[in-house]
Amino acid sequence: MLLLCLDTATPQVSVAIGDEGAVRGEIRLGRGRRHAEQLAPAIAYLCHELDVELARLAGIAVGLGPGLFTGLRVGVTTARTMAQALRVPVVGVASLDLVAYPLRHTNRLVAAVLDARRGEVFHARYRPVPGGVQRVGDYEVGAPADLVADLVAAGEEVLFAGDGALRYRAAFAEVDRSEQAGPAYAFPSGAALVELATARVEREEFSSPWELEPFYLRQSDAEIEWERRQAS
Amino acid sequence: MRILGIETSCDETAAAVVEDGRRVRSSIVSSQVELHAPYGGVVPELASRAHVELVNPVVDDALMEAGVLDAGELDAIAACHGPGLAGALLVGVSAAKALALTTGLPYVQVNHLEAHLYAGWLEEPDLEPPLAVLIVSGGHTLLVVMEDHGRYRMMGQTVDDAAGEAFDKVARFLGLGYPGGPAIDRLAADGEAGAVAFPRAMRDEGYDFSFSGLKTAVVNHVRKHPDVPAADVAASFQEAVVDVLTTKLVAAAAEAGAPTLVLGGGVAANSRLRARVAEAAEASGRRAFLPPLALCTDNGAMIAGAAWWRLRADGPTPLDGGVAPSLALPTM
Ligand SMILES: [Zn+2]
Repeated sequence: MLLLCLDTATPQVSVAIGDEGAVRGEIRLGRGRRHAEQLAPAIAYLCHELDVELARLAGIAVGLGPGLFTGLRVGVTTARTMAQALRVPVVGVASLDLVAYPLRHTNRLVAAVLDARRGEVFHARYRPVPGGVQRVGDYEVGAPADLVADLVAAGEEVLFAGDGALRYRAAFAEVDRSEQAGPAYAFPSGAALVELATARVEREEFSSPWELEPFYLRQSDAEIEWERRQAS
Repeated sequence: MRILGIETSCDETAAAVVEDGRRVRSSIVSSQVELHAPYGGVVPELASRAHVELVNPVVDDALMEAGVLDAGELDAIAACHGPGLAGALLVGVSAAKALALTTGLPYVQVNHLEAHLYAGWLEEPDLEPPLAVLIVSGGHTLLVVMEDHGRYRMMGQTVDDAAGEAFDKVARFLGLGYPGGPAIDRLAADGEAGAVAFPRAMRDEGYDFSFSGLKTAVVNHVRKHPDVPAADVAASFQEAVVDVLTTKLVAAAAEAGAPTLVLGGGVAANSRLRARVAEAAEASGRRAFLPPLALCTDNGAMIAGAAWWRLRADGPTPLDGGVAPSLALPTM
């Protein structure tokens, strides 16, 4: 079972092709803000080099964010359109889950933290369980200092991952007995998407292409401003 | 040759199938006007989010209406890549490239302004350049002489507000809501166009336009004379805009020796502008070509139409083509 897996929620463009849950090939491009230019050629190159015809795909998987809005829209629109044209199911997975999943063999609390710009981070916490990680609490967006305060209060050993964790590493160092997973864990993992999406397709937990939407987590500035004005 | 055209540059999600740059086989437009109305203008982030939701159903409807069972039956896939809102353009371009990738068909990127110029051929397949074209909407105000296919002379543009923006701002000031163009057109029908002599900025100097002073003049006049009926203000304001637009369009046609006047853009729906351009054409021995409203406002058919001409001239666009939010019309 071949799956095409895309994630464009961060400055990295990630394309992987999975075969029965294993990565047949993967491209990662970290040039930032070039999602619209790079995604289609990366898919074409990977398929060509792996000799995979698109018509043979059993499904498309995509990271839904939270993340950078423009990147998300490129990935989600591409996944929706390809799935529609190929008439295959599509699977959406939260991009923060793809940051946490590769750290499932730790025994610490995993904090997946992606840079949300404007001084904020998207984050979620995970506890390792047999075969994966289980999210504790919601996906959130907020200032790094707020996350630090919450984690200090919880008093657990924390393993930080994601480009937001690295960007605000000084702030997160305030959390006792914490450690950074490092640059290898900065972005959503293509291999994680292959594994998680394969399991979902096997359980037939997929959506129709049109139901799939980016996970924005943040309102648009105009809505925030408009609600503020309505309230005052 | 059948081409699918996708348009997502502003607040319309649109797709169409057009044959040989002329015959419209289907054209679907999903407008977001109601989504943006509470904000009094287009909110880019909301527009982008709506495009993501709408682009696939709109493309599907366009294919179905054209009797295309599978996108692979087409000959090319086109999308507007600029000018427009970056986040909005990305959606149409991504969808078009994804379709090109899955079908193996050529991808063609299309300049939105050039597409407005080519909308005429969808209604009038035998249209022959040179044409003097006025494109007026909430986003653009341009006066172009199309000397031949792909050969454009930019005669004038706005130096401040777009014509449609002036309608929106004055409508908001008069409490008529958004979008302002149709609201002013309706109200003006009951008013006296000669009631207030609003300024005709730069009417007889060159081909550029300026509308911001006119808006200020309307505001000042209403504050000073609160008893003037709103219908008279609307009709007089509209007359001032239409007078400048028509005068320059005819002057540009005369200078370039263009026998045909063409209107495009959302403001081309204005009933007074259509009437004045038709009169002016007749008075100067020219022909006025006023495409139906559906081809004047943003639509996918004009993208698919222009793509046919572009594909013949330049061939397909590589799949690493991005978006160009501030793209200009390629002029000579
Ligand atoms: Zn337009």
